[in-house]
Amino acid sequence: MPETEQLLPRFRAAHTQVLGISVDSIFCHANWAHSLNGISFPLLADFHPKGATAQAYGLYLDGAGITDRATVIIDAGGVVRHASSVTPSGRRNIEELAALCERVDKEHGAGLADFPTPEGIGKVDALFVKSNCGHSLKALLARANLHLEDQVPLKNVTEDAEARNELKRLTGKDQAPCLVVQGKAMHEADDIVRYFVSGAADIG
Amino acid sequence: MISVGEKAPGFKLPDHLGREVGLEQFAGRRHVMLLFYPLDFTPT
Repeated sequence: MPETEQLLPRFRAAHTQVLGISVDSIFCHANWAHSLNGISFPLLADFHPKGATAQAYGLYLDGAGITDRATVIIDAGGVVRHASSVTPSGRRNIEELAALCERVDKEHGAGLADFPTPEGIGKVDALFVKSNCGHSLKALLARANLHLEDQVPLKNVTEDAEARNELKRLTGKDQAPCLVVQGKAMHEADDIVRYFVSGAADIG
Repeated sequence: MISVGEKAPGFKLPDHLGREVGLEQFAGRRHVMLLFYPLDFTPT
């Protein structure tokens, strides 16, 4: 996945949306993506009913309860143009897959719009988080997976009394997570994630 | 495994950034590369 993340500009230039997919939950995906230094393209949870999409593509391994390691390239017309497995223990050649996508795009001809450039998340004052808090973790993982560390200063109100006082001063309470953007506070983890996604994600 | 030339089966699934992502939303606009893999936190 990190190799693919690095080659995203090439896939985008070939008008190709990359999607990862396994039977894991979205929470597992988010933590794993973080452990890989951030994955910004969608990792889909084929979680319930388990493996239903993999089954539809003939890639679910019933005995093991997991999905094969396989790649399917679908053109803008919805037709499968490439399908290959490297087996669960194998490795994909991402360079080769990028070249295949470029070929599919070339054969498709002109007409597909370029990926939009993300608008950006504006000037963020800080993301206040608590230790051992699932909601804070959700916001933290999104920040990392969208590579926003440099743009979103982090303050931990559990470990840093000064940060706690600052949060109280800014919002009147010490509830975290809290994203402060130009003095305005946002408390719901899902809202914070949506804010990051709408400004920084380039799914298109 | 699905074959080249077949119509790709549709899906709509949640992702790790809180989005619902469906194949249909890319119809006529994007090619799609699906990376199926066994499990998170496993090698390769």
